[in-house]
Amino acid sequence: MPVEGVKAVGASIRAVATFLPEAVLTNDALAEVFEQSWPAARILEKTGIAERRIAAPDQTALDLGVGAVRRLFDAGHDPAAIDFLIFCSQAPDYILPSSACLLQDRAGLPRSIGALDINVGCAGFVYGLALATGLIASGAAREVLLVTADTYSRFIHPGDRSVRTLFGDGAAATLIAADDKATIGPFVFGTDGRGADRLIVESGGARLRRSEATRAERTDEFGNVRSRDNLFMDGGAVMSFTLREVPAMWAELKARTGLEDADFDQVLLHQANRFMLDALVKKLKLDPAKVPYFFEKIGNTVASSIPFVLEDALAAGTIGPGSRVGMLGFGVGLSWAGCVAQF
Amino acid sequence: MNPLYAGLADIFEVDPELITPDARLEDLGWDSLAMVSTIALFDEVYGKPVGVDKLKTCQTVADIEALAAG
Repeated sequence: MPVEGVKAVGASIRAVATFLPEAVLTNDALAEVFEQSWPAARILEKTGIAERRIAAPDQTALDLGVGAVRRLFDAGHDPAAIDFLIFCSQAPDYILPSSACLLQDRAGLPRSIGALDINVGCAGFVYGLALATGLIASGAAREVLLVTADTYSRFIHPGDRSVRTLFGDGAAATLIAADDKATIGPFVFGTDGRGADRLIVESGGARLRRSEATRAERTDEFGNVRSRDNLFMDGGAVMSFTLREVPAMWAELKARTGLEDADFDQVLLHQANRFMLDALVKKLKLDPAKVPYFFEKIGNTVASSIPFVLEDALAAGTIGPGSRVGMLGFGVGLSWAGCVAQF
Repeated sequence: MNPLYAGLADIFEVDPELITPDARLEDLGWDSLAMVSTIALFDEVYGKPVGVDKLKTCQTVADIEALAAG
């Protein structure tokens, strides 16, 4: 029997601000590289992605995160009210110190805040929400700034269409605050490290240093080129894992809350790509009108994908005060997490 | 029409008549995207997941069908 999840916490997502780098990678540009089998129209039809944004050579995930935080403050949110900063990324500026410490200074956050990095991929936003609500529930913080930022393009070999067509760079700043009218939770988590090698950048950490040997390029059975310095994704394994674990997570979330599909106004899935979300919506038997897609202009932005779709839904008014929203993240780890947010 | 065959015709964007038990996946355009789509199709048609490592051993349409029985 699964243990009962943490209860919903009196907290709300107050604001979301996203940030994109300027350079655009279009399907036409990709089709020039992969002309044989993947014309531009086919890339769009299958992935649902027309463009991705790519960080400049000197622009890191932290820089994108600073951009998102500045947009949040420009909208009128007071930096001085923030108690805690969580920076979620898989592309830190340095081995140490953490990027969160650098972000405190660059974004002009008070010196009184707690700040730390978490290394989570596509499930990162929901993991960050869980930590933020935990800090709020314990009384350790009243306002938490969650910044998600990634630059997967930096890891991707230009000759690897299996990932180059899907991922885009981007960042989001999300403000989570104590609230007596709204709740976040419960949460459901999952982890399966047996699948670690299915979505991985092998070299560059302590286990395998970058070297001449790790830079050696190989071509796989589908004609994709990469080295051990690059991102590798076994798309089939990730699809299998997603179709197995996400429906189970969604069922568990509903069992813990007693809620049914009809009780949710929106369900925000990690915005991977069209073929994966179409398959999931079908398998979950969700009303497609309740599952927004937001990847056509930006691709899969990893941990920022849910805040991008959330920002869009908040602006459009499809999510607002009183909305009940499910959020489901899943990916590298393998790692997954879901929650309910009552706005 | 067999829903697996119909789905494969969609995935490979070919005439459904070309999807026969002994049709070779490589000839149909078996790439990483087709494989990912086939995993979703298999789950939809047979109501159970197919392991990617098993799918990678398939050479023909009949090989995929055999996985449903296994």
